[in-house]
Amino acid sequence: MLKVALRNVRAHLVRLGLSILAVVLGVSFVAGTFALREMLSTTFDNIVDAGYVGDVYLRGAEDSSAMVQTGASAGAVRNTIPAELAEVVSEVDGVELALADFTGPITLVGADGTAVAGGGAPSFAVAYSELDPTATVSQGAAPTDSSEFALEVRSAEAAGLTIGDTTTLVVGGELHEATLTGLVDMGASMAGATIVFLDQATAAATYAPDGLVSTISVYGEDQVDDQALTDRVHAAVEAAGAGSTVEAVSGTDMREEARTDIETMLGFVETFLLIFAGISLFVGAFIISNTFAMTVRQRQREFALLRAVGASPLQVFSSILVQAAVVGALGGALGIAGGLGLVTAIKSMFGAMGMELAGDIPITTSMVVISLVLGIVVSIVSAAVPARRAALVPPVEAMREDSPAPAGSLRLRGIIGLVALGAGTGAVVAAVVQAASDDSASTGSLLGLGAVGVVVGALVLAPVLARPVLTVLAAPFTAWAKPLGKLAQGNVTRNPRRTASTASALMIGMCLVGAASVLAASTQASMRSVVENESLADLVIQSASGMVPAGAVSDISALPEVGVADAVALDSFYVSEPSSTDDPEMLYALGSTPSTFGRTWQTTTVDGDLASMSDGEIAVQERTATAQGWEVGDILTVSSQKGTVTAPVGAIFSSAALDTPLVMDDVSFDSLSAAAADQVTILLVKAADGVDLDELKSAVTAAAAPYVIVSVQDNDEFVSDLASQVDQMLTILYALLGLSIVIAILGIVNTLALSVIERTREIGLMRAVGLGRAQLATTIAIESVLTAVFGTVLGLAVGVALAAGLPTVFGNAGLTDLVIPWGSLVTMLVIAVVVGVLAAAWPAIRAARLPVLEAVTVD
Amino acid sequence: MSVPPASPPSRTTAIATARGLVKTYGKGSTAVHALAGVDVDFARGQFTAIMGPSGSGKSTLMHCMAGLDTPTEGTVVVDDLTVSSMNQRQLTKLRRTQLGFIFQSFNLVPTLTALENITLPLDIARRPVDKAHLAAVVKAVGLSDRLSHRPSELSGGQQQRVACARALVSKPSVVFADEPTGNLDSVSSREVLTFLRSSVDELDQSVVMVTHDPVAASYAHRVLFLADGLIVAELAEPTPDTVLEVLGSLTRQKAAV
Repeated sequence: MLKVALRNVRAHLVRLGLSILAVVLGVSFVAGTFALREMLSTTFDNIVDAGYVGDVYLRGAEDSSAMVQTGASAGAVRNTIPAELAEVVSEVDGVELALADFTGPITLVGADGTAVAGGGAPSFAVAYSELDPTATVSQGAAPTDSSEFALEVRSAEAAGLTIGDTTTLVVGGELHEATLTGLVDMGASMAGATIVFLDQATAAATYAPDGLVSTISVYGEDQVDDQALTDRVHAAVEAAGAGSTVEAVSGTDMREEARTDIETMLGFVETFLLIFAGISLFVGAFIISNTFAMTVRQRQREFALLRAVGASPLQVFSSILVQAAVVGALGGALGIAGGLGLVTAIKSMFGAMGMELAGDIPITTSMVVISLVLGIVVSIVSAAVPARRAALVPPVEAMREDSPAPAGSLRLRGIIGLVALGAGTGAVVAAVVQAASDDSASTGSLLGLGAVGVVVGALVLAPVLARPVLTVLAAPFTAWAKPLGKLAQGNVTRNPRRTASTASALMIGMCLVGAASVLAASTQASMRSVVENESLADLVIQSASGMVPAGAVSDISALPEVGVADAVALDSFYVSEPSSTDDPEMLYALGSTPSTFGRTWQTTTVDGDLASMSDGEIAVQERTATAQGWEVGDILTVSSQKGTVTAPVGAIFSSAALDTPLVMDDVSFDSLSAAAADQVTILLVKAADGVDLDELKSAVTAAAAPYVIVSVQDNDEFVSDLASQVDQMLTILYALLGLSIVIAILGIVNTLALSVIERTREIGLMRAVGLGRAQLATTIAIESVLTAVFGTVLGLAVGVALAAGLPTVFGNAGLTDLVIPWGSLVTMLVIAVVVGVLAAAWPAIRAARLPVLEAVTVD
Repeated sequence: MSVPPASPPSRTTAIATARGLVKTYGKGSTAVHALAGVDVDFARGQFTAIMGPSGSGKSTLMHCMAGLDTPTEGTVVVDDLTVSSMNQRQLTKLRRTQLGFIFQSFNLVPTLTALENITLPLDIARRPVDKAHLAAVVKAVGLSDRLSHRPSELSGGQQQRVACARALVSKPSVVFADEPTGNLDSVSSREVLTFLRSSVDELDQSVVMVTHDPVAASYAHRVLFLADGLIVAELAEPTPDTVLEVLGSLTRQKAAV
């Protein structure tokens, strides 16, 4: 039996080719994801190893009670520590050197006059010390004063600067001319980060004006034990009276921690990519299942013969599974190659963007094993149902000529599908209703579960829906392309299971696209209405680095064309109620002059009065107030390393645009924030009387220009800028979903090609009674388009319906408007038609080339 | 559009003619001559049967006449059109407008109803359906109450009668039938053959049928006998007995060689 099975694979390799290709695509994605992750790990490990070569590090003690509530920063919150500790520590026995790490953000203007940004990687400045073993000047000289700077080798390349060039730096919010004096080698690829070296004094003055730094690196003498040194350093710190706020960590632990953080982050990326790999494998499984269902049917008589000469059903069953395993193994092996090819392409693409990835493309045993096993398991599972059917057909029935297709009832399927769909819809409706009645209810996970139920239900129901939906979709074709439309309709509805599983690839892809496009359109519309409702400013000024340089703020505020310029700063503080015993929470707060509200910005006040901010009272976001149980009049203690403010809650507001828990007046904010002037995230500008918007804009744009990274936008531009960020995210999603469309095309090609083989006699007959080649090709194209459009319509319907529930559930997260982007949906339908025509090309040509006589006399 | 003449059938003009027809499969020493130089005329308004043992070339002759196969040498003319020199496009058009086909099995498109199957050639050619003619044909094959059924809901005999109706509905010059009763029981066979004969007698249709069944052949006006790619005998107004007799003598001749 094994011989029979293997001979068959060889004989039908072409027929199985598309199944193999489907496995290849899915496995490529999986293998590529693993390889990419491995490579990213190596790259970042190298950076960690190159960046943390110290034997001991001093840093702020971890504040276990305070976790960042909002924002992207992962890990614990740490205080800063006094830089002078470096001197104390360098006296410790066995310590060669202790350096305070003066570092912070910087903007470097490259040779082309724009800010240097390596593919979204950070840009920061470091104090140069000739003693620092992580950085050595490889060319030129180290910077000696504020008029000089050095660059990491690759950063210099990316900036297009050579030694002796003078350029602009935006340091500590001020514009600063400096000359490049040297290049610094850090011993590893910095993954696109722009690293600027300043002299010690300049860096210390800029990044530690209060003498506080986040870390101190300690280098031991040769042959000193890490752990012993750490203990001694710790003792010295305690002796200096800073034991409770400063902790000493060994270099090994520090590197380990950094690596763990990176691994966690890469884990998210990996999960995200694996989801798409999973979708493509799932979709590929339908192709394999279809292929086997059809080949099994064609070989029914062969199986009957095998059964007649004594093969058991189990033997027939396993002979088919052996073939599936071969398909899976071949696909898996090619998929590994494909994945590595994919990663090579990604590596060179990243390299071209200035983000070099370290390390060779890795081939790990686990990756190979997982990929192969995945390919084989997916194939075997997909082939199991058709194989079982083949094995159970009684030999006599299978021998009979023209035995009709076993048309199993769709009733059970219909019931299961309806139950899943009903349960899913119920969960979605419950989530929406609950969210609508109770703003603070978190119903996202219920919605997610419901969505899965609805999608699974729709997949199960698809064959039941196929006949009626396809009849409607085919109506234009049957009316206008007689009799081809009717023939095509007959072909796609003849086996609804097959058509539905062929269409399911597109269905899944289009479901996600439909949901994403509704979500994106709604988000954009919500942003627009939020900004239009809340912003009273003529211009909105922001910075690419997140913080508007202080120099830009003062320059713009001083312009005669500017009537009002309200700077809004952002920082995070510890907040607690003095009356409560709860640990303080780390919350984000905005700081601005109280007059900002009503002048350049307006929000809905739920309780109290925003004007109370001028008395130093605090405004709290409604969501936060509800969660914390704060009311107007409650006393809050807001503290930072710099100071403490105790003030009552003066107002509770609700703003979708200001996404921070607290808003404080500028005086209180400045007393808390270490560098309030450097924390301006947004500057709201209104024209002076008699100055029109164009005049204002050109004046402000001119003033902002030297700062390179500062953008000046009116409300419309501000909104479209926000919208284009959403579009960018959507583009990535579309690119990944493009994969499911590729697989969908493969699936349709596969089904059509096999059904052409299956229908050879019928095609011969129709050609004999006068059907032309073009007419035959058109019929197949219509079949293909119908299948593609069926999947698309079903997918979009499910996706849009699910996404329509989102604004209610996530209304309090700023998603207020529901917009259905009909234009995009129509585009998707057009794409489906194109996909259909493309997929039909090869099978149609094959069918048209069938010799009539052979086709009509074939067995 | 050439329509068979309504005048009384003239037995002298041929509706289809082959001259020096040779069909060779393979090359050199392995070449097989399916047809070794056949000259034949199929009379207008006649029912002609072609008989012969397996491998005698009877099916090949019919396929070449019908433009389904291209002869190696020789010419085929159907209703004044030279079939043997036509390209694929012209052949498709010829099949669509001038010829009717009935095959041994798998004659119908399973996704279409009986009526849709009958009008399929007209629909493909985008020609209007002659309602009166359609009604006459449907009535003649006795399928009036089965028109909305799918092929899978019809018996084998009924399916072949639908195929006959389909072959006749476009008023072709010639109907080619390849073993039309090969898969049928004797009752159904009689129905189909009676219908084919009456289409000739009453509708002036010309029919060419390949068969190996002497009873089926006896429904024809004339029987041609093929052996080894040549026409070796001919019989007018056959009966099953006379057909068997000729077949028997051919077998004896062959055995004697």
